[in-house]
Amino acid sequence: MALPSYATPIQRTYYYAYLFFCAFVFFFLVAPLFAIVPISFSVSPFMVFTEGMLAWPPEPEAWSTRWYRNMIGDCSADVVSTTVPCSTKWMVGTVNSFYIGIIATAIATGLGTMAALGLSRPHMPYKALIMSILISPMIVPLIITAAGMFFFYARINLVYTFTGVILAHVALATPFVVITVTATLVGFDMNMVKASQSLGAKPLRTFFKVIMPLILPGIISGALFAFITSFDEVVIVMFMASIDQLTIPKQMWAGIRQEISPVILCMATCLVVLSIILLTTVELLRRRSERLRGIKSR
Amino acid sequence: MSKFLKAFLFVSLVFAPFAASAVTVASWGGAYTESQQKAYANTYSDPSSIVFENYNGGLGEVRAQVESGSVTWDLVDALPSDAITGCDEGLFEDISAEIAAGAAPGPDGESMAEDMENNGLEYHSGWDCCVPQIFWTYVVFFDPDAFPGEKPSTIADFFDVEKFPGKRGVHTWATGIIEKAMVADGVKPSAVPTVLANQTGAIDRAFAKLDTIKDDVVFWSAGAQPLELVKSGEVIMSIAYNGRVGAANLAEGANFEYIWEGQVLDQEYLCLMSGAPNRDAAIDFMFHASTPEAQAEQAKYITYGPMRASGIPIIEANEPWGPGGVDIMPHMPNTPERLKVSIVSDPQWWSDYGAEINERYSAWMGN
Amino acid sequence: MPIGDMLLRSVDDSQINTVFPKTFEEYRKWDKSKDELPPEEVYKALFQELASGDKVKVGRALTRMNYSKSGWKSLIKKTSRAIKKAVKKDELPDNYKEFLIETNEKWADPTYWYAMGQMINNTTSIYYWNAIDRTFDENLNVVQQEENRRVYVQTWIKTLKVSVYVTAFCLILGFPVAHLLANLPLRYSNLLMIFVLLPFWTSLLVRTTAWIVMLQQNGVINGVLVWLGIISEEGRLSMVYNETGTLIAMTQILLPFMILPLYSVMRVIPKSHMRAAQNLGAKPAMAFWKVYLPQTIPGMSAGGLLVFVLAIGYFITPELVGGKDGKLIGSWIAYHLKTTLNWGLTAALGAILLGFMLIFYWLYNKIVGIDNIKLG
Repeated sequence: MALPSYATPIQRTYYYAYLFFCAFVFFFLVAPLFAIVPISFSVSPFMVFTEGMLAWPPEPEAWSTRWYRNMIGDCSADVVSTTVPCSTKWMVGTVNSFYIGIIATAIATGLGTMAALGLSRPHMPYKALIMSILISPMIVPLIITAAGMFFFYARINLVYTFTGVILAHVALATPFVVITVTATLVGFDMNMVKASQSLGAKPLRTFFKVIMPLILPGIISGALFAFITSFDEVVIVMFMASIDQLTIPKQMWAGIRQEISPVILCMATCLVVLSIILLTTVELLRRRSERLRGIKSR
Repeated sequence: MSKFLKAFLFVSLVFAPFAASAVTVASWGGAYTESQQKAYANTYSDPSSIVFENYNGGLGEVRAQVESGSVTWDLVDALPSDAITGCDEGLFEDISAEIAAGAAPGPDGESMAEDMENNGLEYHSGWDCCVPQIFWTYVVFFDPDAFPGEKPSTIADFFDVEKFPGKRGVHTWATGIIEKAMVADGVKPSAVPTVLANQTGAIDRAFAKLDTIKDDVVFWSAGAQPLELVKSGEVIMSIAYNGRVGAANLAEGANFEYIWEGQVLDQEYLCLMSGAPNRDAAIDFMFHASTPEAQAEQAKYITYGPMRASGIPIIEANEPWGPGGVDIMPHMPNTPERLKVSIVSDPQWWSDYGAEINERYSAWMGN
Repeated sequence: MPIGDMLLRSVDDSQINTVFPKTFEEYRKWDKSKDELPPEEVYKALFQELASGDKVKVGRALTRMNYSKSGWKSLIKKTSRAIKKAVKKDELPDNYKEFLIETNEKWADPTYWYAMGQMINNTTSIYYWNAIDRTFDENLNVVQQEENRRVYVQTWIKTLKVSVYVTAFCLILGFPVAHLLANLPLRYSNLLMIFVLLPFWTSLLVRTTAWIVMLQQNGVINGVLVWLGIISEEGRLSMVYNETGTLIAMTQILLPFMILPLYSVMRVIPKSHMRAAQNLGAKPAMAFWKVYLPQTIPGMSAGGLLVFVLAIGYFITPELVGGKDGKLIGSWIAYHLKTTLNWGLTAALGAILLGFMLIFYWLYNKIVGIDNIKLG
């Protein structure tokens, strides 16, 4: 969208102001994420840029990986300090986060795909209502969902259990799968199902051999969405997880409130890297899906 | 694909946390639990039989465990208000008889309860289910380098914005600050709980005093913040947990000074869960952890004060008590002379009026 | 299901009635206009029920009673101890009223008895009234809460205010960006889209922490400003632990939720419309206002409602970066759920929030249709 050559000076000014404004917003969106990376390699226990880090020529002694080593549970003397004791909590949290995240994702992906398939049938009754209910956990403020689930789970003794946290995460993550799979089903040619069945395939075989390969990119990106939802989720785990279900977000929350230290930033950096990986995967899948379904990019 | 997934699930199942069979103590984590590990567990006859777990305070998890009948913790490190409520509601087991018979007496043969009363404490129903741990206090501290001239020395100075202009750090909940305001308003520290409980309008008086510094307050909500606030010069002095200030002074080379007058002492207990899986072993550990010696030992690692009065002389006689030959007494909140200018927070009163006063405090902050 | 359970909790008040059934039965007979204090029978019933009551059940009832009036807890506990002592010594009093008042003069204070009246029924609406700073007087009429305890209305307003501001900021910042993304060739816009999607995919807590690092007194922004000489070393801005911090952080966190729906709407607006308008003689500003803007309304309303609804229930970020201004309604829900255990009030606050939500949800559905949500 370049500026036409006949633009007036005023239009030019507006145009550059507009570009500058957009650049500012992009900067606003990502700058904080990258500002934390250098500080996570600081040697100081405060979350600031120290003078040594800003000095020119660079001072190697201002930088270290001690907080990363602290994060992975290294207890050497140069790693721990009184305010930042050595602990395995970050690693326990990581294991739990993956454990909860993977199981919740698996369940949510299965349920969500089935729901999306059902909802995409042309003559599904109460389609809008079902869709609204399915999507609602995504839109209802988490605090309400969390409070409601807490009361409900308290009655059936699921609070402070892995099962409870996983089920709650399934409820939160399913809508993402429904949405992404529904999106890939748009433009899906139902005649292929008919063709497959007329050739004698059983419904299950049709699903795995015909439908599945075509909507797989949608399922996978839905699953990734579901995973990141569970992986980043903090409100539910705050209410419904005991320390046994310590996850990364829960530990970060505790860390920010109790022991502000660069270890938090190390974990944050790792999470940023993880989200870059996931984002790239989803983007590649989306392109693949569009190619497969023959939707041409503009 | 599915094989891969199965393998992954299997691996993550294997890594899932397992339940402990030793005496499990739920505590707050961080440097505090570290000090408990060193002072109580490592000095215990069988250190490996004690496992610390973190929890976030409150009775929610305790209640869930007791009500569902699947109790996994044995002991809980609890605030006095939770100790009282938990004991009243039967979430913690009443072991007053065991405590009377088995808790270590003080050096002069005084019972544990008497030893605590020597520290200015009064009986409450939490004592039936729990043994004492440490005093943690809300204390005012400042960086002396920020005051080239006269330094603040009384709690009245904290409330005097003309004598010491500048921002003050105060926490976002009411406990501690209400009592300080009363002292600054001229109430004798030891009389503050009585005045609050019995005098009509005492709360109004405290809020009126708070109004005088309202425009000069920076509020903090997490224990690590006040140190950053003072260090960065955002405030000239702040209320903080004394253990945080002590750690900064002893380990980080900071040079903060305390204003002990008007400090508010709060208590901490170790309580026995109802239906604890290792009840007898847990009680034995409770008695160990509440000896004056164990409590004095804890002061080595974190500068919170022993709740048993006889812990203090042990530290005093053996200075330098801290690791690396540092003196601990300058950082102990409950020496006899500091106790004289301190307020012992009344958990009973706070559990009655806490919710109401906190609402009012929030309204005050917001206006 | 969980939501229904929550609604149930918000009106349930049966707990205390199961502990003191007889007391309440007698209580109903008390004519408040005639006698200042309840009749002897009420005192007697209370005495007996405390003497025989199960410690655990009474303990739990106390927690509930203390919500309606501070001080119940220790009053009953002290009384209960005295009663048990008397029963043990087999010294039943002749006059229960006198006995109780002798134990504690608060039993002669009618306000405690009035507070008891609030709990007389098995269901109650008091939590809802509490949630908007109202309470019951002795005749169960709704009255204003004491002035200095009025905190919830103020919090509701603050929550709405923050949500409106954040929505407005998101719209101001998001609109040009979405416009740029929608009009660039796909090659560039896909690249720039990463700037929007990366924060969207990054943990909420990571972004919150990042903002603390950026905004604090010794933080990145202040450092840069001092280095550039725009502000002096002493004049460092306080941008975090106050409302500014809350607004900045929440805007950044919710901005992708505004940009994505706007983008998906703008992408399908044909460029020819603007050109046509200009060909027909409209100035660019006019063409934008009359032709382009109306077509983006579905995107704006979708993004706006999404951001608003998410903002209204937020509490993690405000709690961490907001200082005293960070206590939004979500924080109170969490506080009562975890700390005071006043689950009735928690549920009522949640239900009201849910009510707000449903209104917006309904609007959203009306305007854009619920199945039009797109992700990236």
